[in-house]
Amino acid sequence: MITIQKQGYGGIVLPAYGIGLDTDQAIVPHVFISHAHADHVPRNRHIPVYATPATAALMKARGFQGEVTETPFYSPVSLPGDVTVTLYPAGHILGSAMTYIQTPEGSVLYTGDYRNPASPCTEGFDCPAKVDYFITEATFSLPIYRWKSHEKLFDRLRTTAIQARERGEVPVFLTYNLGKAQEVMMALAPTGIPVQIHGAGYPLCEIYTRFGMDLGAYTRYNRKSVTEGALITPMSTLDTSMVTSIRKKYLTYCSGWAALESRRAQLNVDQLIPLSDHIDFFELLALCRRLAPRKIYLTHTPNPDVLLHYLRNDGLDAESLDLQGNDDA
Amino acid sequence: MPETAPLFLDFAELAQRLAETRSTRSKIALCAGYLSGLQSDADLDRAVRFLGEGAFSRLSGKRAAVGHRTIAVSAARHLDIDYEQVFRPSRIATGSASEAIEKLLENLESGRRKRREGAPLSLESVDQRFRLLSGARSREDKEALLQENFCELSPLEVKYFLRILGGGSLRIGFELRSILNAIARAFGASPEQVRYTHMITGSLGKTAVMARNGSLDEASFTLFQPVDFMLATALTDPFGQVEGGTAPAALTDFTGFVAEEKFDGMRCQVHVQCEQVALFSRDLNDVTSSFPEVVQFMSGLNLPATVLDGELCVYLDQTIQPFQSLQKRMGVKKPGKSLLQQHPVLFIAFDLLHHDGHSFFGRSLNQRRGLLEALCKENGIARVDQFTIRDVFHLKDSFTQALANGNEGLILKRTDGLYEFGQRGKSWLKVKQPGGSLDTVILYATAGSGKRGGTYSDFTLGIRVSDDPRYEQDFVPIGKAYGGYTDEELKRLNTAIKPLIRERFGPTLSLEPAIVVEIEFDEIQRNKRTKAGYTLRLPRFRAIRWDKLPGQTDTLAEVERLYREKIGRKRQPGAAFSANSDN
Repeated sequence: MITIQKQGYGGIVLPAYGIGLDTDQAIVPHVFISHAHADHVPRNRHIPVYATPATAALMKARGFQGEVTETPFYSPVSLPGDVTVTLYPAGHILGSAMTYIQTPEGSVLYTGDYRNPASPCTEGFDCPAKVDYFITEATFSLPIYRWKSHEKLFDRLRTTAIQARERGEVPVFLTYNLGKAQEVMMALAPTGIPVQIHGAGYPLCEIYTRFGMDLGAYTRYNRKSVTEGALITPMSTLDTSMVTSIRKKYLTYCSGWAALESRRAQLNVDQLIPLSDHIDFFELLALCRRLAPRKIYLTHTPNPDVLLHYLRNDGLDAESLDLQGNDDA
Repeated sequence: MPETAPLFLDFAELAQRLAETRSTRSKIALCAGYLSGLQSDADLDRAVRFLGEGAFSRLSGKRAAVGHRTIAVSAARHLDIDYEQVFRPSRIATGSASEAIEKLLENLESGRRKRREGAPLSLESVDQRFRLLSGARSREDKEALLQENFCELSPLEVKYFLRILGGGSLRIGFELRSILNAIARAFGASPEQVRYTHMITGSLGKTAVMARNGSLDEASFTLFQPVDFMLATALTDPFGQVEGGTAPAALTDFTGFVAEEKFDGMRCQVHVQCEQVALFSRDLNDVTSSFPEVVQFMSGLNLPATVLDGELCVYLDQTIQPFQSLQKRMGVKKPGKSLLQQHPVLFIAFDLLHHDGHSFFGRSLNQRRGLLEALCKENGIARVDQFTIRDVFHLKDSFTQALANGNEGLILKRTDGLYEFGQRGKSWLKVKQPGGSLDTVILYATAGSGKRGGTYSDFTLGIRVSDDPRYEQDFVPIGKAYGGYTDEELKRLNTAIKPLIRERFGPTLSLEPAIVVEIEFDEIQRNKRTKAGYTLRLPRFRAIRWDKLPGQTDTLAEVERLYREKIGRKRQPGAAFSANSDN
């Protein structure tokens, strides 16, 4: 039995092997970073870590200063104690990786954030066939979440933008600067509508194109010319002059949480599109059944109980890492 | 012609589009387009009823009588899921049972498998299903009928089916006023006339059909069918500097106004014709059987068709008794002898809406008052006294006198004002003393919709019970405040609650008790159904006390003390109304 501990806010540690997964501090020698979202990147910006080349570039662009050992997908890293670590594409954002750790005690797969079917704006999704200990995120772990296909969602994004332009409005997409923003840009690229992006998201787009993603024609946000195309900007700017100064606009909020009607009451926007970069309940359940690991650990979940109920009904051994806490530390 | 009958699916899709449209104007246009496309009167009646009244017309007095629990359990059974383990968490995450059911029917294999693909149901057959459900007696029968619907309706249809069945709002941000505007727009009628017709007919269906047939002029008042009450707006800072306030008084010129004392009772509309009498409360419920002495008095007068607006009060020893005394009578269907003796109720009239074939909604208060006066004098009906106010000092004196009489305060009424049913207009103004103020702590925040969409604007306030041996928790809810804060304060509050979030229930956040709010309220009422045992009427923010800690707030014991103090207040025999007759 491999000891798996939750550490700090979101990180996980395998103390016996000196391996940390999205951990905050350098308490173990080998820290692997799954992707460049802030809640997975160490707050201590100076520790040495392993990450995919794309994740390394994105982390550095967002201010990470530590040494990054660039580890491409499918390139095994050998560690002391007869341990091999291999990164698999996670389909969440550009560079996002699942960490596959083969040890003499069995294999561990840590998903980080992931999505299957993969976001088209990533390197895809691929998973090793045999996993003994499966540590999975479960952000959308209720059966009320089942995502529509990217084809349908991208169609809806394009229709939204085209129809808004026809009405003389600026289509404004409110979404994260890293990942979702580029996904929306990729969806809009075939329409030829020029896209402006929030200043903090702009340098990240350059990294996306450098790694081969087609984001269409885009420029950094400019107050004078923003009315000529579409705007992509985070939700936090909704009440700032960046958005309020656009007189005729059509506001669309893109997020997995947009699936909930109550979000409509909480956000004053025209449209909500449930576009998520996380795996939904049904895909997650199917993956667990397919892998049939010795043990499943759920993490990053607002509600582990429902999924645990389903997994246990299937005879799978599962528990929540969040509830287990640091008791055995 | 069943093949051309309008489908319930089209209705559900309209409702969903209304929910997803932000501007009220676009919503009205959408809805008007839909309504004008309905061919038969019966379908038009159904569509507007489903939009605004529920499964049954308000006039029918019929209800579906299918509980939340029955619906939830049927859905869980239909979907083969565990109620506690799967359904409940799904409902909590969405904050709505109907939405959770829609999504689960859509997503779960069990829901998809059981769906029978047939011709979509018409509005008429869905209407029929509501009647079947309301006729079902046992829980088993209701469950069977519900499951039938889960099989035959699409998930979207099920969501709206359940919301219509519940009789509450469809939660699409399209309420009565908008529906009436859509009816007007669909059939080229005047919105004013549509609103009036709805008010006097009490039926959206009738109103829509009359609007389409161009017969709104024929709408006539129907006796024994309650009319929405006219409401008063509270005057903030009525006395200004007279009370040492810094702001000028809200009103200084009283020409064109008359004043009445405001009784501490229950608003009531009396419909009477010969020996037939009906009493209606503010929420338009029939409360006739609770007040036999009023019925007996009215039925003995042998009046032609008459509608009076006024207040029910307990009147004993020449004195109007506090509201708490009247509360003993409220909700008691057939009061016994001793209750009638201990808490005798009197109806005091202050307005006349209809008499002997004529409706007076469109007449000025002066004219209505003249007619009321004559009618009351002739029949010995108690009516409120009216007097004029000279200036703000006189207002203050009159107010003090009203309190001494045991009354709540004053109402100022414009003499040229019409009877603005269902509205809180500016022609009736309340002058009231706040019931008091308390320091409370915010326990829950709920996001508003419409104009306040996107902002947490409703706050559930807690009173401290941390040292109270009767309670285990630190705070219990004492009321819900929707206003009294400035836009700036609301903004700051919305930022401040973010780190305090404990849990989300749909649009509601449960918060760590941390933010202290000084609230003002109209009144403390006993309410045994709440944890605190008391509720505050109309609590509103007076100040957010960023300087105070939750441990420094007022306790439930203080609420109890204020309540006892109020009950025990000395009252002088009041002279705010007359009951003499000419005969």
